[in-house]
Amino acid sequence: MKEEAIVSKIKEYLKDKVIEITNPAPRRIFLKVTKENLVEAVRFLKDKFNFTHISTISGVDLGENFEILYHLANEYVVLSVRIITPRDEPKIPSICEVIPGAILYEREIQDMFGIVVENIPDPRPLVLSDDWPEGVHPLRKDWKFERPMEKIPGGE
Amino acid sequence: MKSNGMEFKVPIGPQHPALKEPISLRMTFEGEIIKDADLRLGYNHRGIEKLAEQKTYIQNLYLTERICGICSHSHTTCFTQGVEKLMGIEPARRGLYIRTLVAELERVHSHLLWLGVAGHEAGFDSFFMYTWRDREVVMDILEIISGNRVHYAMNTFGGVRRDIDEQQKKKILDSLDLLKERTEYYFNMGATEPTFVARIAGVGRLPKEKAIELCAVGPTLRASDIPRDVRRDDPYAVYGEIPFEVCTADTCDVLGRVVVRVKELMQCYIMIEYLLKNLPPGEIKAKAPRRVKEGEVVSRYEAPRGENIHYIKSNGTDKPERLKVRAPTLANYPATIEMLKNGFIADIPLIFAAIDPCICCAERIISLVDAKTGKEKIVTMAELRKFSIEFYKKNPRKKEVIWPL
Repeated sequence: MKEEAIVSKIKEYLKDKVIEITNPAPRRIFLKVTKENLVEAVRFLKDKFNFTHISTISGVDLGENFEILYHLANEYVVLSVRIITPRDEPKIPSICEVIPGAILYEREIQDMFGIVVENIPDPRPLVLSDDWPEGVHPLRKDWKFERPMEKIPGGE
Repeated sequence: MKSNGMEFKVPIGPQHPALKEPISLRMTFEGEIIKDADLRLGYNHRGIEKLAEQKTYIQNLYLTERICGICSHSHTTCFTQGVEKLMGIEPARRGLYIRTLVAELERVHSHLLWLGVAGHEAGFDSFFMYTWRDREVVMDILEIISGNRVHYAMNTFGGVRRDIDEQQKKKILDSLDLLKERTEYYFNMGATEPTFVARIAGVGRLPKEKAIELCAVGPTLRASDIPRDVRRDDPYAVYGEIPFEVCTADTCDVLGRVVVRVKELMQCYIMIEYLLKNLPPGEIKAKAPRRVKEGEVVSRYEAPRGENIHYIKSNGTDKPERLKVRAPTLANYPATIEMLKNGFIADIPLIFAAIDPCICCAERIISLVDAKTGKEKIVTMAELRKFSIEFYKKNPRKKEVIWPL
């Protein structure tokens, strides 16, 4: 099968850089690497298996850490590269030099999770409205939306 | 060409007559030529991803339906099939057929709508009126099946909510003949009518390598001669067993995008006919549990505008831990910037319409683009107001000016 061939090739080339690799469903692979090895892994996947398309980047708030998933796709498989970054020092490398189409998703991650993407070609904050308070990141689990009390002019 | 002091920056939108939905474009022009473009979204950001974490799976089914009006079935199907995998249930086969049928009908109505918009933006309004009249036929079919014209609410975990009977089947097959005939006529008109072709050929070029690099999706990508389609590459529902072809065009411009969409319409009719004639008997829905096992899933779907992806992480309760949605329009923005560059001002609506932008989809999250600019400063309304007051203080008012004539 295609997936099995890809899994064994990745293990063979990336060796101990692979922390975990699973194939839970047909055409789905999850690969875990450290954030230092991310750019190298993505470049390898792009050159070797034609993973040129990035579908999106998902962030998940795990409490102590953030988990970032890069959903790469080629003609057969969706490969999600997973990295972990600590909440105290949320920094991840940019993959725009390898896949330029990732810029939007990285900027989205920056704004929604407050994660700093290093070497990003366009670091302007943009996601939220212009008057959004600094240091507030809506997709973190500790952010709760509280509707401001409605005040009717002239009412009680 | 020198650009010393001859560049103009023009904001287009968020509210603009050329755009049907709010989006803010900042264009840099040199004369009539677009030198750079920048996008700022977030104008109607709805925070649906955050909201989804506070709703149960059943509630989220209806929430995802409301991400978009035109491709409402796309988002629920994408979400439903992801959750079904997490639940570990096998959806009913008849349910899957009906789900796929509605998906293809939705594609027909979306593409007909788009053809009309393309005609309208090119100044060919009779084309617009024809396609939108025929779109009513599909809308009626969808209404017959689901009871609704826009939010069909057909999906549920394990299958669909409404069955199709023989009478409905016959009615749909009868209407298909008319649609087929009309679509052939549009194909001839769209691809050969000299004035229309002259207007759209060569506009909004997106070379093949750029389309790959910038991760374009859907008909935009296929019009750049890259045969990628989630229905074929990653078959979901019953796409693995029904006949269809992936349609491409090699002109890499708006003409190619028209051709791809009209060809896809023809494929849709073939699929709809096959689905109706081979509809398996049996239940339309399998029983689904209320809670979802811990796990994660990546679900993909070929929406009318391109690849739609949902990432769902569950934590064992009745609410998802995280729902990430990426609608196709967002993926096409970096490519749109590329298409706009070195085009004419008059082509902006046409190029922009050619990706079939669904801004409400893209805006459930966020915003923006162009990797290389960064020149533009975003000014808040208050600053702008202050600036304008200052400016007029320093400058003579109209009545005090001595006019040269």
